[in-house]
Amino acid sequence: MTLLQGFGDQIIAGAITTLQVALTSLVLGIAVGLCGAMAKVNGIGALRWLADGYTTIVRGIPELLIILILYFGGTVALTALLGRYVEVDAFAAGVFALTIVFGAYATEVFRAALLAVPRSQIEAAHALALSRALTFRLVILPQMWRYALPGLGNLWLTLLKDTALISVVGLEDLMRKASVAAGATHDPLTFYLIAAALYLTFTSVSLVGLALLEQRAGRGVRISE
Amino acid sequence: MLKIKPATGQFKTELSDTKAALHVVNLRKRFGQLEVIKGLSLTANQGDVISILGSSGSGKSTLLRCLNFLEPPNEGEIWIGGRQIQARAGATGQREINALRINLGMVFQTFNLWLHKTVLENIVEAPIHVLGLSKAEAHLRAEELLLKVGLADKRHAYPSQLSGGQQQRIAIARALAMEPEILLFDEPTSALDPELVGDVLKVIRALADEGRTMLIVTHELNFARQVSNRIVFLHEGQIEEEGPPDAFFNHPSSPRVRQFLSSQRDGYHR
Repeated sequence: MTLLQGFGDQIIAGAITTLQVALTSLVLGIAVGLCGAMAKVNGIGALRWLADGYTTIVRGIPELLIILILYFGGTVALTALLGRYVEVDAFAAGVFALTIVFGAYATEVFRAALLAVPRSQIEAAHALALSRALTFRLVILPQMWRYALPGLGNLWLTLLKDTALISVVGLEDLMRKASVAAGATHDPLTFYLIAAALYLTFTSVSLVGLALLEQRAGRGVRISE
Repeated sequence: MLKIKPATGQFKTELSDTKAALHVVNLRKRFGQLEVIKGLSLTANQGDVISILGSSGSGKSTLLRCLNFLEPPNEGEIWIGGRQIQARAGATGQREINALRINLGMVFQTFNLWLHKTVLENIVEAPIHVLGLSKAEAHLRAEELLLKVGLADKRHAYPSQLSGGQQQRIAIARALAMEPEILLFDEPTSALDPELVGDVLKVIRALADEGRTMLIVTHELNFARQVSNRIVFLHEGQIEEEGPPDAFFNHPSSPRVRQFLSSQRDGYHR
Protein backbone atom coordinates (compact mmCIF):
# COMPACT_ATOMS: atom_id res chain seq x y z
CA MET A 1 0.00 0.00 0.00
CA THR A 2 1.72 3.08 -1.22
CA LEU A 3 -1.20 5.43 -0.93
CA LEU A 4 -0.18 8.29 1.34
CA GLN A 5 3.05 6.45 2.04
CA GLY A 6 1.11 3.67 3.73
CA PHE A 7 -0.82 5.95 6.08
CA GLY A 8 -4.11 5.85 4.13
CA ASP A 9 -5.67 3.15 6.30
CA GLN A 10 -4.57 4.93 9.44
CA ILE A 11 -6.17 8.19 8.35
CA ILE A 12 -9.43 6.41 7.51
CA ALA A 13 -9.46 4.65 10.89
CA GLY A 14 -8.87 8.00 12.60
CA ALA A 15 -11.70 9.62 10.66
CA ILE A 16 -14.06 6.83 11.74
CA THR A 17 -13.05 7.26 15.39
CA THR A 18 -13.64 11.01 15.11
CA LEU A 19 -17.15 10.42 13.75
CA GLN A 20 -17.89 7.84 16.44
CA VAL A 21 -16.83 10.16 19.25
CA ALA A 22 -18.75 13.08 17.77
CA LEU A 23 -21.99 11.18 17.11
CA THR A 24 -22.01 9.45 20.50
CA SER A 25 -21.42 12.76 22.25
CA LEU A 26 -24.13 14.39 20.15
CA VAL A 27 -26.80 11.87 21.16
CA LEU A 28 -25.83 11.91 24.85
CA GLY A 29 -25.33 15.68 24.82
CA ILE A 30 -28.83 16.27 23.41
CA ALA A 31 -30.27 14.18 26.24
CA VAL A 32 -28.24 16.15 28.80
CA GLY A 33 -29.27 19.43 27.18
CA LEU A 34 -32.99 18.54 27.22
CA CYS A 35 -32.80 17.57 30.89
CA GLY A 36 -30.84 20.73 31.70
CA ALA A 37 -33.33 22.94 29.87
CA MET A 38 -36.32 21.34 31.59
CA ALA A 39 -34.60 21.72 34.96
CA LYS A 40 -34.02 25.39 34.24
CA VAL A 41 -37.51 26.14 32.94
CA ASN A 42 -39.75 23.86 35.03
CA GLY A 43 -37.43 22.60 37.74
CA ILE A 44 -37.81 23.16 41.45
CA GLY A 45 -35.18 25.07 43.44
CA ALA A 46 -32.38 22.54 43.84
CA LEU A 47 -32.61 21.20 40.28
CA ARG A 48 -32.57 24.66 38.78
CA TRP A 49 -29.63 25.61 40.96
CA LEU A 50 -27.78 22.50 39.82
CA ALA A 51 -28.45 23.24 36.14
CA ASP A 52 -27.36 26.86 36.57
CA GLY A 53 -24.13 25.77 38.25
CA TYR A 54 -23.44 23.21 35.52
CA THR A 55 -23.81 25.59 32.60
CA THR A 56 -21.94 28.39 34.37
CA ILE A 57 -18.91 26.23 35.15
CA VAL A 58 -18.68 24.30 31.90
CA ARG A 59 -19.24 27.28 29.65
CA GLY A 60 -16.70 29.29 31.61
CA ILE A 61 -13.71 26.93 31.22
CA PRO A 62 -11.77 26.19 28.01
CA GLU A 63 -12.79 22.85 26.46
CA LEU A 64 -9.20 21.64 26.41
CA LEU A 65 -8.95 22.15 30.17
CA ILE A 66 -12.23 20.33 30.77
CA ILE A 67 -10.96 17.37 28.77
CA LEU A 68 -7.67 17.28 30.67
CA ILE A 69 -9.33 17.70 34.07
CA LEU A 70 -11.91 14.98 33.38
CA TYR A 71 -9.26 12.62 31.97
CA PHE A 72 -6.79 12.98 34.80
CA GLY A 73 -9.51 13.45 37.39
CA GLY A 74 -11.21 10.30 36.12
CA THR A 75 -7.96 8.36 36.38
CA VAL A 76 -7.41 9.53 39.96
CA ALA A 77 -11.02 8.85 40.93
CA LEU A 78 -11.15 5.37 39.43
CA THR A 79 -7.77 4.47 40.88
CA ALA A 80 -8.91 5.55 44.33
CA LEU A 81 -12.21 3.77 43.90
CA LEU A 82 -10.81 0.44 42.71
CA GLY A 83 -7.66 0.53 44.81
CA ARG A 84 -5.31 -0.02 41.87
CA TYR A 85 -4.01 2.09 39.03
CA VAL A 86 -6.54 2.39 36.25
CA GLU A 87 -5.98 4.24 33.04
CA VAL A 88 -9.13 5.78 31.69
CA ASP A 89 -10.06 4.70 28.19
CA ALA A 90 -9.41 7.64 25.88
CA PHE A 91 -12.58 7.05 23.86
CA ALA A 92 -14.79 6.95 26.95
CA ALA A 93 -13.06 9.99 28.45
CA GLY A 94 -13.43 11.87 25.18
CA VAL A 95 -17.12 11.09 24.82
CA PHE A 96 -17.73 11.96 28.46
CA ALA A 97 -15.93 15.30 28.22
CA LEU A 98 -17.55 16.32 24.94
CA THR A 99 -20.99 15.28 26.22
CA ILE A 100 -20.52 17.50 29.25
CA VAL A 101 -19.45 20.43 27.07
CA PHE A 102 -22.10 19.94 24.38
CA GLY A 103 -24.80 19.38 27.02
CA ALA A 104 -24.04 22.69 28.70
CA TYR A 105 -24.39 24.72 25.53
CA ALA A 106 -27.36 22.64 24.36
CA THR A 107 -29.09 23.35 27.67
CA GLU A 108 -29.18 27.03 26.77
CA VAL A 109 -30.27 26.36 23.19
CA PHE A 110 -33.12 24.12 24.38
CA ARG A 111 -34.08 26.54 27.14
CA ALA A 112 -34.57 29.31 24.60
CA ALA A 113 -36.49 26.90 22.34
CA LEU A 114 -38.76 25.77 25.18
CA LEU A 115 -39.62 29.37 25.99
CA ALA A 116 -40.25 30.14 22.32
CA VAL A 117 -43.11 27.64 21.93
CA PRO A 118 -46.22 29.83 22.04
CA ARG A 119 -48.29 29.53 25.22
CA SER A 120 -51.44 29.19 23.11
CA GLN A 121 -50.18 25.94 21.54
CA ILE A 122 -49.72 24.44 25.00
CA GLU A 123 -53.07 25.73 26.27
CA ALA A 124 -54.83 24.02 23.38
CA ALA A 125 -53.30 20.72 24.52
CA HIS A 126 -54.28 21.34 28.15
CA ALA A 127 -57.84 22.24 27.19
CA LEU A 128 -58.11 18.90 25.38
CA ALA A 129 -57.12 17.12 28.61
CA LEU A 130 -53.74 15.97 27.33
CA SER A 131 -51.45 15.17 30.26
CA ARG A 132 -48.23 17.10 30.83
CA ALA A 133 -46.16 14.26 29.40
CA LEU A 134 -48.35 14.00 26.29
CA THR A 135 -48.33 17.75 25.84
CA PHE A 136 -44.55 17.69 25.93
CA ARG A 137 -44.26 14.80 23.49
CA LEU A 138 -46.97 15.80 21.01
CA VAL A 139 -46.78 19.58 21.05
CA ILE A 140 -43.78 21.11 22.81
CA LEU A 141 -40.99 18.80 21.64
CA PRO A 142 -41.84 18.86 17.91
CA GLN A 143 -42.24 22.63 17.96
CA MET A 144 -39.05 23.13 19.97
CA TRP A 145 -36.90 21.62 17.24
CA ARG A 146 -37.75 24.42 14.89
CA TYR A 147 -36.30 26.93 17.33
CA ALA A 148 -33.44 24.72 18.52
CA LEU A 149 -32.05 23.37 15.24
CA PRO A 150 -30.09 26.42 14.05
CA GLY A 151 -28.36 26.67 17.44
CA LEU A 152 -27.82 22.92 17.66
CA GLY A 153 -26.35 22.92 14.16
CA ASN A 154 -23.71 25.40 15.28
CA LEU A 155 -22.96 23.31 18.35
CA TRP A 156 -22.63 20.17 16.25
CA LEU A 157 -20.02 21.80 13.99
CA THR A 158 -18.09 22.91 17.07
CA LEU A 159 -18.38 19.42 18.57
CA LEU A 160 -17.11 17.78 15.40
CA LYS A 161 -14.01 19.97 15.45
CA ASP A 162 -13.55 19.75 19.22
CA THR A 163 -12.95 16.01 18.85
CA ALA A 164 -9.48 17.05 17.69
CA LEU A 165 -8.80 18.17 21.27
CA ILE A 166 -9.27 14.61 22.53
CA SER A 167 -6.04 13.63 20.77
CA VAL A 168 -4.16 15.23 23.69
CA VAL A 169 -5.24 12.32 25.91
CA GLY A 170 -4.21 9.77 23.34
CA LEU A 171 -7.38 9.06 21.38
CA GLU A 172 -6.46 7.73 17.95
CA ASP A 173 -8.68 10.17 16.11
CA LEU A 174 -8.23 11.89 12.77
CA MET A 175 -6.16 14.68 14.27
CA ARG A 176 -3.76 12.34 16.05
CA LYS A 177 -3.37 10.04 13.07
CA ALA A 178 -2.59 12.99 10.83
CA SER A 179 -0.10 14.28 13.34
CA VAL A 180 1.65 10.90 13.63
CA ALA A 181 1.77 10.53 9.87
CA ALA A 182 3.08 14.06 9.52
CA GLY A 183 5.91 13.31 11.95
CA ALA A 184 6.81 9.95 10.43
CA THR A 185 6.88 11.09 6.81
CA HIS A 186 8.35 14.57 7.31
CA ASP A 187 5.53 15.79 5.09
CA PRO A 188 3.25 17.61 7.56
CA LEU A 189 1.52 19.87 5.08
CA THR A 190 0.08 17.00 3.02
CA PHE A 191 -1.36 15.20 6.03
CA TYR A 192 -2.71 18.29 7.75
CA LEU A 193 -4.35 19.37 4.50
CA ILE A 194 -5.89 15.91 4.14
CA ALA A 195 -7.20 16.11 7.71
CA ALA A 196 -8.58 19.59 7.05
CA ALA A 197 -10.30 18.35 3.89
CA LEU A 198 -11.90 15.48 5.80
CA TYR A 199 -13.18 17.76 8.59
CA LEU A 200 -14.54 20.10 5.93
CA THR A 201 -16.27 17.19 4.20
CA PHE A 202 -17.93 16.09 7.42
CA THR A 203 -19.12 19.58 8.28
CA SER A 204 -20.38 20.24 4.75
CA VAL A 205 -22.40 17.02 4.71
CA SER A 206 -23.73 18.01 8.13
CA LEU A 207 -24.89 21.36 6.80
CA VAL A 208 -26.88 19.65 4.06
CA GLY A 209 -28.42 17.31 6.64
CA LEU A 210 -29.24 20.24 8.90
CA ALA A 211 -30.99 22.08 6.11
CA LEU A 212 -33.19 19.02 5.53
CA LEU A 213 -33.92 18.70 9.24
CA GLU A 214 -34.84 22.37 9.47
CA GLN A 215 -37.20 21.96 6.56
CA ARG A 216 -38.87 19.03 8.30
CA ALA A 217 -39.05 20.84 11.66
CA GLY A 218 -40.56 23.88 9.99
CA ARG A 219 -43.42 21.91 8.46
CA GLY A 220 -46.70 23.68 8.67
CA VAL A 221 -44.95 26.94 9.46
CA ARG A 222 -42.97 27.74 6.36
CA ILE A 223 -45.07 26.42 3.55
CA SER A 224 -43.52 26.60 0.12
CA GLU A 225 -46.12 25.86 -2.47
CA MET B 1 -53.25 25.68 44.31
CA LEU B 2 -56.60 24.01 44.51
CA LYS B 3 -58.15 20.97 45.92
CA ILE B 4 -60.98 18.81 44.82
CA LYS B 5 -62.91 17.86 47.86
CA PRO B 6 -63.42 14.13 47.90
CA ALA B 7 -67.14 13.81 47.47
CA THR B 8 -69.00 10.73 48.66
CA GLY B 9 -68.24 8.63 45.64
CA GLN B 10 -67.50 10.48 42.44
CA PHE B 11 -71.10 11.37 41.84
CA LYS B 12 -73.58 13.07 44.08
CA THR B 13 -77.12 12.26 43.18
CA GLU B 14 -78.87 13.88 46.11
CA LEU B 15 -78.72 17.29 44.50
CA SER B 16 -81.90 18.86 43.28
CA ASP B 17 -80.27 20.38 40.20
CA THR B 18 -78.65 17.25 38.81
CA LYS B 19 -80.20 18.07 35.46
CA ALA B 20 -77.98 21.13 35.32
CA ALA B 21 -75.21 20.51 32.79
CA LEU B 22 -73.03 23.08 34.50
CA HIS B 23 -73.37 24.55 37.93
CA VAL B 24 -70.88 27.15 39.17
CA VAL B 25 -71.04 28.30 42.78
CA ASN B 26 -69.22 31.27 44.26
CA LEU B 27 -66.26 31.19 41.87
CA ARG B 28 -63.36 33.48 42.72
CA LYS B 29 -60.18 34.24 40.82
CA ARG B 30 -57.42 36.61 41.88
CA PHE B 31 -54.36 37.72 39.96
CA GLY B 32 -52.17 38.92 42.81
CA GLN B 33 -54.14 41.62 44.60
CA LEU B 34 -56.62 42.04 41.77
CA GLU B 35 -59.79 40.02 42.08
CA VAL B 36 -61.10 39.35 38.58
CA ILE B 37 -63.96 36.97 39.34
CA LYS B 38 -65.78 37.94 42.52
CA GLY B 39 -67.87 35.09 43.83
CA LEU B 40 -69.75 34.34 40.63
CA SER B 41 -72.52 31.72 40.43
CA LEU B 42 -74.06 30.43 37.24
CA THR B 43 -76.18 27.48 36.14
CA ALA B 44 -76.53 26.11 32.64
CA ASN B 45 -79.17 23.49 31.98
CA GLN B 46 -78.92 20.84 29.30
CA GLY B 47 -79.31 22.55 25.93
CA ASP B 48 -78.81 26.07 27.22
CA VAL B 49 -76.96 28.47 24.94
CA ILE B 50 -75.69 31.26 27.13
CA SER B 51 -73.98 34.30 25.66
CA ILE B 52 -71.67 36.09 28.05
CA LEU B 53 -71.35 39.79 27.33
CA GLY B 54 -69.52 42.62 29.03
CA SER B 55 -66.92 45.28 28.36
CA SER B 56 -63.26 44.31 28.18
CA GLY B 57 -61.83 43.61 31.60
CA SER B 58 -65.17 42.45 32.97
CA GLY B 59 -63.84 38.91 33.47
CA LYS B 60 -65.64 37.13 30.61
CA SER B 61 -62.66 35.25 29.26
CA THR B 62 -61.22 34.60 32.70
CA LEU B 63 -64.53 33.00 33.70
CA LEU B 64 -64.34 30.53 30.81
CA ARG B 65 -60.66 29.85 31.48
CA CYS B 66 -61.39 29.18 35.14
CA LEU B 67 -64.01 26.59 34.26
CA ASN B 68 -61.45 24.31 32.59
CA PHE B 69 -58.60 25.33 34.89
CA LEU B 70 -56.50 27.05 32.24
CA GLU B 71 -56.57 29.63 35.04
CA PRO B 72 -56.97 27.70 38.29
CA PRO B 73 -59.70 29.41 40.31
CA ASN B 74 -58.94 30.37 43.92
CA GLU B 75 -62.28 29.40 45.34
CA GLY B 76 -65.62 27.97 44.41
CA GLU B 77 -67.35 24.87 43.16
CA ILE B 78 -67.80 23.65 39.63
CA TRP B 79 -70.38 20.93 39.01
CA ILE B 80 -70.56 19.19 35.68
CA GLY B 81 -73.26 16.62 35.09
CA GLY B 82 -73.59 16.18 38.83
CA ARG B 83 -69.87 15.76 39.43
CA GLN B 84 -68.30 18.28 41.73
CA ILE B 85 -64.94 19.94 41.41
CA GLN B 86 -64.31 22.15 44.37
CA ALA B 87 -61.75 24.86 43.86
CA ARG B 88 -60.14 25.70 47.15
CA ALA B 89 -56.69 26.47 48.46
CA GLY B 90 -54.68 23.25 48.14
CA ALA B 91 -53.60 21.05 45.28
CA THR B 92 -56.15 19.95 42.71
CA GLY B 93 -55.14 16.64 41.22
CA GLN B 94 -54.21 16.71 37.55
CA ARG B 95 -56.42 13.68 37.00
CA GLU B 96 -59.49 15.50 38.31
CA ILE B 97 -58.68 18.58 36.24
CA ASN B 98 -58.39 16.42 33.13
CA ALA B 99 -61.69 14.70 33.93
CA LEU B 100 -63.20 18.19 33.96
CA ARG B 101 -61.48 19.21 30.73
CA ILE B 102 -62.75 16.14 28.87
CA ASN B 103 -66.27 17.41 29.48
CA LEU B 104 -65.55 21.00 28.49
CA GLY B 105 -64.71 21.64 24.83
CA MET B 106 -62.84 24.92 24.44
CA VAL B 107 -62.71 27.08 21.32
CA PHE B 108 -60.14 29.89 21.51
CA GLN B 109 -60.20 33.36 20.03
CA THR B 110 -56.97 32.64 18.15
CA PHE B 111 -57.93 29.04 17.19
CA ASN B 112 -54.67 27.61 18.63
CA LEU B 113 -54.48 24.79 16.14
CA TRP B 114 -51.16 22.99 16.39
CA LEU B 115 -49.08 24.47 13.63
CA HIS B 116 -46.89 21.42 13.03
CA LYS B 117 -49.81 19.04 12.56
CA THR B 118 -52.21 18.63 9.68
CA VAL B 119 -55.92 19.28 10.07
CA LEU B 120 -56.61 15.58 10.56
CA GLU B 121 -53.78 15.17 13.08
CA ASN B 122 -55.06 18.16 15.03
CA ILE B 123 -58.44 16.48 15.39
CA VAL B 124 -57.40 12.88 16.16
CA GLU B 125 -54.58 13.38 18.70
CA ALA B 126 -56.70 13.95 21.81
CA PRO B 127 -59.36 11.29 21.05
CA ILE B 128 -56.58 8.73 20.51
CA HIS B 129 -54.39 9.64 23.47
CA VAL B 130 -56.97 10.81 26.00
CA LEU B 131 -60.13 8.86 25.17
CA GLY B 132 -58.25 5.78 23.98
CA LEU B 133 -59.94 5.56 20.60
CA SER B 134 -58.26 3.43 17.96
CA LYS B 135 -56.71 5.30 15.05
CA ALA B 136 -59.44 4.04 12.74
CA GLU B 137 -62.23 5.18 15.08
CA ALA B 138 -60.62 8.57 15.59
CA HIS B 139 -60.16 9.12 11.89
CA LEU B 140 -63.74 8.12 11.18
CA ARG B 141 -64.94 10.59 13.78
CA ALA B 142 -62.66 13.30 12.40
CA GLU B 143 -63.91 12.79 8.85
CA GLU B 144 -67.52 13.09 9.98
CA LEU B 145 -66.74 16.30 11.83
CA LEU B 146 -64.87 17.74 8.84
CA LEU B 147 -67.96 17.14 6.73
CA LYS B 148 -70.03 18.84 9.37
CA VAL B 149 -67.89 22.00 9.36
CA GLY B 150 -67.64 21.82 5.57
CA LEU B 151 -63.89 21.34 5.28
CA ALA B 152 -63.46 17.68 4.35
CA ASP B 153 -61.19 18.66 1.45
CA LYS B 154 -58.71 20.29 3.84
CA ARG B 155 -57.92 17.18 5.86
CA HIS B 156 -54.25 17.10 4.86
CA ALA B 157 -53.65 20.85 4.95
CA TYR B 158 -51.59 22.57 7.62
CA PRO B 159 -53.29 25.33 9.61
CA SER B 160 -51.09 28.01 8.03
CA GLN B 161 -52.57 27.09 4.65
CA LEU B 162 -56.09 27.93 5.84
CA SER B 163 -57.96 31.17 6.36
CA GLY B 164 -58.81 32.25 9.89
CA GLY B 165 -62.41 31.22 9.42
CA GLN B 166 -61.40 27.77 8.21
CA GLN B 167 -58.96 27.38 11.10
CA GLN B 168 -61.69 28.25 13.58
CA ARG B 169 -64.05 25.69 12.07
CA ILE B 170 -61.30 23.07 12.37
CA ALA B 171 -60.77 24.14 15.98
CA ILE B 172 -64.48 23.60 16.62
CA ALA B 173 -64.23 20.14 15.02
CA ARG B 174 -61.23 19.39 17.23
CA ALA B 175 -63.21 20.31 20.35
CA LEU B 176 -66.24 18.28 19.18
CA ALA B 177 -64.10 15.19 18.58
CA MET B 178 -63.83 14.78 22.35
CA GLU B 179 -67.66 14.68 22.53
CA PRO B 180 -67.74 17.14 25.42
CA GLU B 181 -70.91 17.79 27.37
CA ILE B 182 -70.43 21.53 27.17
CA LEU B 183 -68.78 23.79 24.62
CA LEU B 184 -66.97 26.96 25.68
CA PHE B 185 -66.39 29.63 23.03
CA ASP B 186 -63.96 32.40 23.94
CA GLU B 187 -64.66 35.23 21.47
CA PRO B 188 -64.63 32.78 18.56
CA THR B 189 -64.95 35.42 15.83
CA SER B 190 -62.97 38.34 17.29
CA ALA B 191 -59.77 37.50 15.42
CA LEU B 192 -61.49 37.02 12.06
CA ASP B 193 -61.83 39.27 9.05
CA PRO B 194 -65.44 40.46 8.86
CA GLU B 195 -66.24 38.46 5.73
CA LEU B 196 -65.13 35.23 7.43
CA VAL B 197 -67.26 35.65 10.56
CA GLY B 198 -70.43 34.34 8.93
CA ASP B 199 -69.16 30.84 8.20
CA VAL B 200 -68.04 30.33 11.79
CA LEU B 201 -71.28 31.69 13.23
CA LYS B 202 -73.20 29.34 10.94
CA VAL B 203 -71.38 26.35 12.43
CA ILE B 204 -71.99 27.56 15.99
CA ARG B 205 -75.64 28.15 15.20
CA ALA B 206 -75.98 24.60 13.84
CA LEU B 207 -74.51 23.28 17.09
CA ALA B 208 -77.02 25.30 19.08
CA ASP B 209 -79.83 23.85 16.96
CA GLU B 210 -78.60 20.36 17.86
CA GLY B 211 -79.36 21.19 21.48
CA ARG B 212 -75.79 21.36 22.68
CA THR B 213 -75.03 23.17 25.90
CA MET B 214 -72.80 26.14 25.14
CA LEU B 215 -71.26 29.17 26.81
CA ILE B 216 -70.25 31.84 24.32
CA VAL B 217 -68.19 34.89 25.18
CA THR B 218 -68.80 37.24 22.28
CA HIS B 219 -69.03 40.79 21.02
CA GLU B 220 -71.47 39.83 18.26
CA LEU B 221 -74.63 41.20 19.83
CA ASN B 222 -76.95 40.29 16.97
CA PHE B 223 -75.63 36.76 16.94
CA ALA B 224 -75.96 36.47 20.72
CA ARG B 225 -79.54 37.64 20.45
CA GLN B 226 -80.42 35.10 17.76
CA VAL B 227 -78.59 32.05 19.00
CA SER B 228 -78.84 32.13 22.77
CA ASN B 229 -81.71 31.47 25.11
CA ARG B 230 -80.01 33.43 27.88
CA ILE B 231 -77.70 36.44 28.11
CA VAL B 232 -75.35 36.98 31.02
CA PHE B 233 -73.79 40.41 31.39
CA LEU B 234 -70.61 40.62 33.45
CA HIS B 235 -69.31 43.71 35.16
CA GLU B 236 -66.17 43.70 37.29
CA GLY B 237 -66.25 39.96 37.83
CA GLN B 238 -69.89 39.71 38.83
CA ILE B 239 -73.13 39.11 36.99
CA GLU B 240 -74.71 42.51 36.49
CA GLU B 241 -77.79 41.27 34.68
CA GLU B 242 -79.06 38.07 33.13
CA GLY B 243 -82.16 37.00 31.31
CA PRO B 244 -83.67 35.93 27.99
CA PRO B 245 -82.37 37.87 24.98
CA ASP B 246 -85.59 39.82 24.30
CA ALA B 247 -85.81 41.16 27.83
CA PHE B 248 -82.09 41.83 27.97
CA PHE B 249 -81.85 43.78 24.74
CA ASN B 250 -85.23 45.53 24.90
CA HIS B 251 -85.73 46.24 28.57
CA PRO B 252 -82.43 46.04 30.43
CA SER B 253 -82.87 47.06 34.05
CA SER B 254 -79.24 47.91 34.76
CA PRO B 255 -78.03 51.34 33.68
CA ARG B 256 -74.64 49.80 32.91
CA VAL B 257 -76.23 47.39 30.44
CA ARG B 258 -78.15 50.25 28.84
CA GLN B 259 -74.92 52.22 28.52
CA PHE B 260 -73.10 49.17 27.08
CA LEU B 261 -75.82 48.51 24.53
CA SER B 262 -76.02 52.11 23.39
CA SER B 263 -72.23 52.38 23.07
CA GLN B 264 -72.24 49.22 20.95
CA ARG B 265 -74.95 50.68 18.73
CA ASP B 266 -72.95 53.89 18.38
CA GLY B 267 -70.06 51.72 17.31
CA TYR B 268 -72.01 50.42 14.36
CA HIS B 269 -72.71 53.93 13.07
CA ARG B 270 -69.05 54.92 13.09
